[in-house]
Amino acid sequence: MPGNPLQPFFRQRGWRAFPFQKQTWAAYADGKSGLLHAPTGLGKTLAVWGGPVIEAIMNPRSGCSVLWITPLRALAQDTLRALREPLELLAPDLQVEARTGDTPAALRARLRKRLPFGLVTTPESLSLMLTHPDTREKLSGLRAVIVDEWHELLGTKRGVQTELCLARLRAWLPDLQIWGLSATLGNLDDARATLLGDLPSVRIDADLKKPIRIETLIPREIDRFPWSGHLGTRLAPQVVRELEKAHTTLLFTNTRSQTEIWFQELVALRPDWRDTLAMHHGSLDRAEREKVEAGLRDGSLRCVVCTSSLDLGVDFSPVDQVIQVGSPKGIARLLQRAGRSGHQPGKTSRVLGVPTHAMELVEFAAVRDAALARHLEARRPLTKPLDVLVQHLVTCAIGEPFEPAEMRREIQSSHAFRDLGDDEWNWCLGFISNGGQALAAYPRYQKARLVDGRYQVDDKRLITQHRLSIGTISSDAHVSVRFANGHSLGTVEEGFISRLKPGNLLVFAGRKLELMRLHQRVATVRVATRQAKGHVAIWGGSKMPLSTELSHAMAARLRGEGGRAPEMTAVAPILAIQQRWSRLPDDRSLLVEHTRSREGEHLFIYPMAGRLVHEGLGALMAYRLRLKDDVTVTQNDYGFCLSARRGLHLSEDAIRFNLTLDSLLEDLIACLNTAELARRHFREVARVAGLVLQQLPGRQQRGQREIQSSSRLLFEVLERYDPANLLLLQSQREILEKQLEYSRLGNALSEIKERPIHLIETENLTPMAFPLWADRLSATLPAGDVASRLEQMLEELNQAATR
Amino acid sequence: MTTALLEQTIELLPEKAVLLADRTLVVADLHLGKAIAFQAKGLAIPEGDSDSDLASLATLCQQQNASRLIIDGDLFHSPAGLTTAIEQSLESFMEKLGIPVQLVIGNHDRKIARLPAKLEPVPSIEAAGFHIVHDPGEARDDRPTIAAHWHPVARIADGKRTSLRLPCFLIRGEMLVLPSFGSFTGGAIVEPRKDDRIFVAPGDQVIEVPPRLLRK
Repeated sequence: MPGNPLQPFFRQRGWRAFPFQKQTWAAYADGKSGLLHAPTGLGKTLAVWGGPVIEAIMNPRSGCSVLWITPLRALAQDTLRALREPLELLAPDLQVEARTGDTPAALRARLRKRLPFGLVTTPESLSLMLTHPDTREKLSGLRAVIVDEWHELLGTKRGVQTELCLARLRAWLPDLQIWGLSATLGNLDDARATLLGDLPSVRIDADLKKPIRIETLIPREIDRFPWSGHLGTRLAPQVVRELEKAHTTLLFTNTRSQTEIWFQELVALRPDWRDTLAMHHGSLDRAEREKVEAGLRDGSLRCVVCTSSLDLGVDFSPVDQVIQVGSPKGIARLLQRAGRSGHQPGKTSRVLGVPTHAMELVEFAAVRDAALARHLEARRPLTKPLDVLVQHLVTCAIGEPFEPAEMRREIQSSHAFRDLGDDEWNWCLGFISNGGQALAAYPRYQKARLVDGRYQVDDKRLITQHRLSIGTISSDAHVSVRFANGHSLGTVEEGFISRLKPGNLLVFAGRKLELMRLHQRVATVRVATRQAKGHVAIWGGSKMPLSTELSHAMAARLRGEGGRAPEMTAVAPILAIQQRWSRLPDDRSLLVEHTRSREGEHLFIYPMAGRLVHEGLGALMAYRLRLKDDVTVTQNDYGFCLSARRGLHLSEDAIRFNLTLDSLLEDLIACLNTAELARRHFREVARVAGLVLQQLPGRQQRGQREIQSSSRLLFEVLERYDPANLLLLQSQREILEKQLEYSRLGNALSEIKERPIHLIETENLTPMAFPLWADRLSATLPAGDVASRLEQMLEELNQAATR
Repeated sequence: MTTALLEQTIELLPEKAVLLADRTLVVADLHLGKAIAFQAKGLAIPEGDSDSDLASLATLCQQQNASRLIIDGDLFHSPAGLTTAIEQSLESFMEKLGIPVQLVIGNHDRKIARLPAKLEPVPSIEAAGFHIVHDPGEARDDRPTIAAHWHPVARIADGKRTSLRLPCFLIRGEMLVLPSFGSFTGGAIVEPRKDDRIFVAPGDQVIEVPPRLLRK
């Protein structure tokens, strides 16, 4: 790389530039935008940072030249360090700073005055910048925006927020170059189109195969291994032996509760490790988490039990082993986790799978197949979340008055809103100005005013309020957990802690605690002295389903495809039983088992489409069958089960008839009480759209009390007095997608239409059926509509009253 | 539901009101103008509640042939919500009603500098043997009290994993706490104490909830 201004830095480090780095620098110099696809730890930062740095060294200019957008605040400091390193040698006068929610006020004030050459920021902070009238001028020298970890933002509302901010910047600066960084996805070209739209752009793949080894801890006694279900810690002693072999291990689990359980189990097995075992999850106090992260960086910890909170970013070089407990759920997800070890270029990433039940052995074999074949999941970009749009429009109107037609062109230049219709656009304008109803405007409501053909917001109070509530992440009602001396441990969900009484024990943050009192969203606890089992803190949120890609890979394994695998050898005895008593399910046919027990009949159906789809299919079928008796529905990632006293002895035609795609949406809405679900989900939409105010932790602003209401109440009021409000529809659409993976469900049904059905009468519960049958005890019947629930209640109450 | 409660005969109405022996109708917590108060702070909440709440209150008074109406506090939500339009609706409501209307001052009303004089606002009223006051904390020991303010809501187990939330009447000792009448008011779940009695109206009649169905 003679003549390249970056050369001194590479020489100093003794590095050679990778071809993909040179390619990226050249494309940047050509004025192109692009998406760089590279695994972590491969010099991707230097690849995208190099272009603008070279440019600045060759043509020095003043002002802010590069915005670096990172999805995680926690990553900002590490990114800052990585960006500053080459500059210290090459161009010491070029400054880089970070501006995020964590930035101290003094630095923030300094950044308000003058921006450095490079600014590291988050989507939220960038939005916030757009509310300041001088931002356009301050960014007038901007050359490039780099979006880090774009795959994390894609498919989320924060991703859409980023798209909108970029549309704004591009409208200001037509020559702006935008670069995205992404890990491997199944739809990289969609990812590029979403970020870059019609900009002249390239896609660069760092075609350096990072060697990855996926292995599985094979249980010694497969016969005594649970067929399915359970958060088993049965393999914990074997896991301890694996921990002994490595220097530092990250042990990933799928839920925060599981993290607490595994931490307790490991401490019980090796009390002498107490000081070198730690845990990390999103609900722990930030100070606590930072302590653990520091311990990981300096290598003083032997093992950290964690959740997805450690999936991303930060470089913990000492980590040399990654363990995944329980189903990997998705291929990209496991690869991301595997990549947390061997973070340096050239090192092998290794992940060890720990199954918690037999079928997960098949999952681990399948995930390896798919990873080797590079069949990864796609992330679908969101379209038209209007709550994000109205928030952004107010943001823009605060920054500088906008002309509607011009703004609409700008908005439609983003991928998410390219198909924005007239009705939707006019509704949004109405919503931010007179309240949204076409004919009857709200008398006292006015956020944006139309002055000389331009929308503007000039009420200072409203501006402050809006700035405080920018963003699309909303959290549930949380209770902070503290010791009496004020030391904070983290947060738990209100719903969990309010079920406990003072004196009850709970397991949280790796400690056994006794609840002393709960007062005003603070739970005071002390370390439990009694020896008794405590309630493990539970957090809400739906269980993540097995991805479509992984389901297919698993079905291939069950069909006997793929080479020898230790997992398949281990699970063979169980699969043999399944085959003898019935057959193995797969994705080319539809296995249906019917059996009778003392309780009645059970119908097991295995579409292999992930638990959310199965939940929807189960409820749908129960509804369509219209049986007189109660039907219990249970589901897992492989199939679902209907149980009833009688009426489940169906013919193949009847099964097909009940799994038809016709009137899917209507039937789902009728059977799943989607109105109620949407009402609950509305909180998030209402928050983003600015219908409810963000509650700031700790303090309550004066005068805020009288404008607080629950989003549930708002939903009811809107439904009654403004049924055309598009946010209501959006809420319903989102909940169908989120709770039931509606589009995947539709696809599954149209595939099932083509699959031959194998209807088998079984004597006994098969290995596949047993866990579904066992789950029925805790199953929830699909709730009926409100009216019938009320009716049922009334009856019950009347009976009680007449007794 | 007619009951001899607190040694007085009273009638709990499913419309979230109580009718006393002398045909005095008591309601509470209308929070008129709440939507407007929200709008004034830049939150796009639709109009419509206040008028329909007043309309249904008028209908109720006629149906029950009430001799007078007592509003047990929080008729208004906030100063920002008390617009001329609301004042006018209230005036025509009272005219149409043709019976005496009296307001017991609630914590929200207190923030309003000039309450409409026609309402004869007072801190508390004695009626048909009851002490009527807004805040349950100001209940009397020496005689039964009717209070409001809490917007009590009962959470009722439905035998599955979910539960129903219904506005309720709460009888605790010598005190009756009224549900909120306004449609845009929300509520707080009652933490049942021993010997509490809770009444809900899931349909068109008031029913006492057996304690075993209550959830915290």
